Amino acid sequence: MNLSDRIDDMMAKVLKPSRYLGSEFGSIMKNAEDVSVRYAFLFPDVYEVAMSHLGMKILYHTLNKRDDVWCERVCSPWPDMEKLMEENGVPLFSLESRTPVKDFDLLGITLQYEMSFTNILKALSLSGIELYQKDRVDGPFVICGGPCAYNPEPLCDFVDVFTLGDGEETIHQTVDVYKRWKESGAPREEYLKMCAREVDGAYVPSLYDVVYNDDGTIASVTPKEGSGAKELVFKALVNDLTAADYPEKLIVPYGEVVHDRIMLEIFRGCTRGCRFCQAGMVYRPVRERSMDRLLEIADKLVKATGFDEISLMSLSSGDYSCLPELAHEMITRYMKKRVKISLPSQRIDTFLKDTLKETQKVRKTALTLAPEAGTQRLRDVINKGVTEEDLIRAVTDAFEEGWSAVKLYFMIGLPTETDEDVLGIADLAEKVRKAYFSVPKDRRAPGLRITVSASVFVPKAHTPFQWSGQLDKETVIRRQKMLKMELNKVKGVDFKYHEPDVSYIEAVFARGDRRLSKVLREAVNLGCHFDGWTEFFDNEKWMQAFKNAGIDPDFYAARNIDVNECLAWGHIDSGVSQAFLKREWEKAQRAETTQDCRKGCVGCGVKRYGGACE
Amino acid sequence: MRAIFRFGKIGRLKFVSHLDLQRYMQRAFSRTELPVAFSQGFNPHPVMSFASALAMGWVSEYEVLDVKLDTPISKEFALKEMRSALPPELPVYEVRFVDDRHASMMSLVKMSDYEIEILENMDKIKEAAREFLLSESVMAIRKTKSSEREINIRPLCVYLSSQENCLKTRLMLTEADTLKPDLLLKTLSEMAGIEVPRCQIKRTKLIGLAKSGRETPLMEL
Repeated sequence: MNLSDRIDDMMAKVLKPSRYLGSEFGSIMKNAEDVSVRYAFLFPDVYEVAMSHLGMKILYHTLNKRDDVWCERVCSPWPDMEKLMEENGVPLFSLESRTPVKDFDLLGITLQYEMSFTNILKALSLSGIELYQKDRVDGPFVICGGPCAYNPEPLCDFVDVFTLGDGEETIHQTVDVYKRWKESGAPREEYLKMCAREVDGAYVPSLYDVVYNDDGTIASVTPKEGSGAKELVFKALVNDLTAADYPEKLIVPYGEVVHDRIMLEIFRGCTRGCRFCQAGMVYRPVRERSMDRLLEIADKLVKATGFDEISLMSLSSGDYSCLPELAHEMITRYMKKRVKISLPSQRIDTFLKDTLKETQKVRKTALTLAPEAGTQRLRDVINKGVTEEDLIRAVTDAFEEGWSAVKLYFMIGLPTETDEDVLGIADLAEKVRKAYFSVPKDRRAPGLRITVSASVFVPKAHTPFQWSGQLDKETVIRRQKMLKMELNKVKGVDFKYHEPDVSYIEAVFARGDRRLSKVLREAVNLGCHFDGWTEFFDNEKWMQAFKNAGIDPDFYAARNIDVNECLAWGHIDSGVSQAFLKREWEKAQRAETTQDCRKGCVGCGVKRYGGACE
Repeated sequence: MRAIFRFGKIGRLKFVSHLDLQRYMQRAFSRTELPVAFSQGFNPHPVMSFASALAMGWVSEYEVLDVKLDTPISKEFALKEMRSALPPELPVYEVRFVDDRHASMMSLVKMSDYEIEILENMDKIKEAAREFLLSESVMAIRKTKSSEREINIRPLCVYLSSQENCLKTRLMLTEADTLKPDLLLKTLSEMAGIEVPRCQIKRTKLIGLAKSGRETPLMEL
């Protein structure tokens, strides 16, 4: 039996066969003989999550526009399928042509969250690819990009090349270099060196030496002599998003996926400078897509997919310079076609009443706001440029326009946080409730629902809080309980919070170094996978993995790092400079805010890049 | 006016569930310029129904989709638009138009034809099929969502013949009386004293009854 038949045979035994079918409308089939490079793009999570990811759609599209490349998708098999594959010796395969991943030339992996790292190792072993980069003599080169590549160190032993920054252009460079390398017949290591020299934002970890101090901290990270690797690797930057490639058709899945809609990226980057937010730092500067281009893309995608919803994507959609015009135009254009427009991650201080009214014409969902902290002092520490007044005005407006459901997002464990700050969350919820009742009964929608969600703060590399240790578990749990009791006093509030264990592991890897590869290896051996899924996360196994590897997780998660210490990711330049981050960290301790850089440059360092911020 | 499309479900798409296919078809209509009628209400959707659900894992060359249109169109246009919106594994074979008052395709289905390709032990299945045809009563347990009941399945099999490695059969498919081909095969396997052989089930026709009482393919009713 061929591989495809063997896969079909397993379909009757798995939960959702549509995860493994491929051949969706919009998926791209080519003749393997007609292309010179075969690229497997792995999203290390289940199909429904993978298919909701915009980055993969963009890169799939831009690669497949080329006649000489065929890019195919690969997802992590759900544990039921994973088990069957292992039992039947079926290797990890691509969705389009069902080719074993090992037979591809390049394997691109997107790093979206730390808790998917075990799935990457699992995918490599299911593919029959040597786990350790140094052991590979054949098979595809493993290239990782995405936000977690900004601290690539925990994955260094397993990865050939990391690409930092925007992928639209660098993914082509990795392919072009591959073609040249293949023609040259040079040994495998030469491809890595060529990438390090020629591909924008390429970081080749095997070309660096790391030296440690006696106390376990890092003494230095330096390029190997003669390797040609850069001392400081700058991220790749696409300055003109309007001109950049964007998919004009999308794959339409058979089963339901997480984001079953058209995703329209209206801009990249954020000017706010919230100090906890890695995305807000590493995606700088702000680059908008023109409104004309967005409308053109939207028209094509509505026609090409048949989706009935368009989501405007960005880090802070309210900041788009022509948001009211864009929202208005889209709503009127698509009303007849019954296509809904939704604006996620809405910012309260830019929420426009008129746009609210228009959105409501089409659909009314819960208003989602993220004050992040309960008191003004702590909001100043994190530089969340939002006041209580802004928040109350925004929810009052929304209640007057007929909204009755509000979701409020907060974090527990932010630097300098006290019990008072956490109790402030309950206070804020109470004020939101009062705002609802301040609207006359005949003018408000019945059934107030307030959801308060509190996640646990995780310090991330390349943010001003990268030097801060994570709050200890006992205090987190005590504050969660305290807040729960306080929120019980506010009627109509639903409180959601997370177990701190996952956030702890996340913190370890977010600020981890190369020595953690041992832990990942142990964790996978112990059966850890799909750690982002509560039903699969197993804290005991993780603790065992740390023990087996002889590594103290507190060293990474809980420790306050001295600002003069050599950082594990110090040789990676995300655009914002370490000097800026240091300044921001110091201002945070004094609860001093920094302005939104649309109001004037704050010197974050991204201007060092040609063409940025113009 | 309503358009009745006959389409196939082949290849890997046999593993798409009926529920997923319904949603998929709704989106497919949005990709076309067909003047599909939408339901009223807060969440409008195309007014459409399938004549009969197909189990996951079976292929078919006779799936029937019944959809309401706002304005009349030509057959050529209807076929062109649908074909452009569906992948090759959902081939569109034909279309006809009926009046709004025409009975729903779902209500007209009485029987279904299947071909069961048997991949092993065909000789034993053949023997069992002969025995089955000679019996007046063959009891089998029919499982539904809510109950498990032993019934006589012999009268529910209208027709059964065996060829080289394939069973061809016409089975009842109404709300009151239904025999699914997998239960038939399971029963035959039990009669033969073997495990259910590996097989591929294909629906080849949906059958209704003409006014004369004659068994007639759905698309001709």
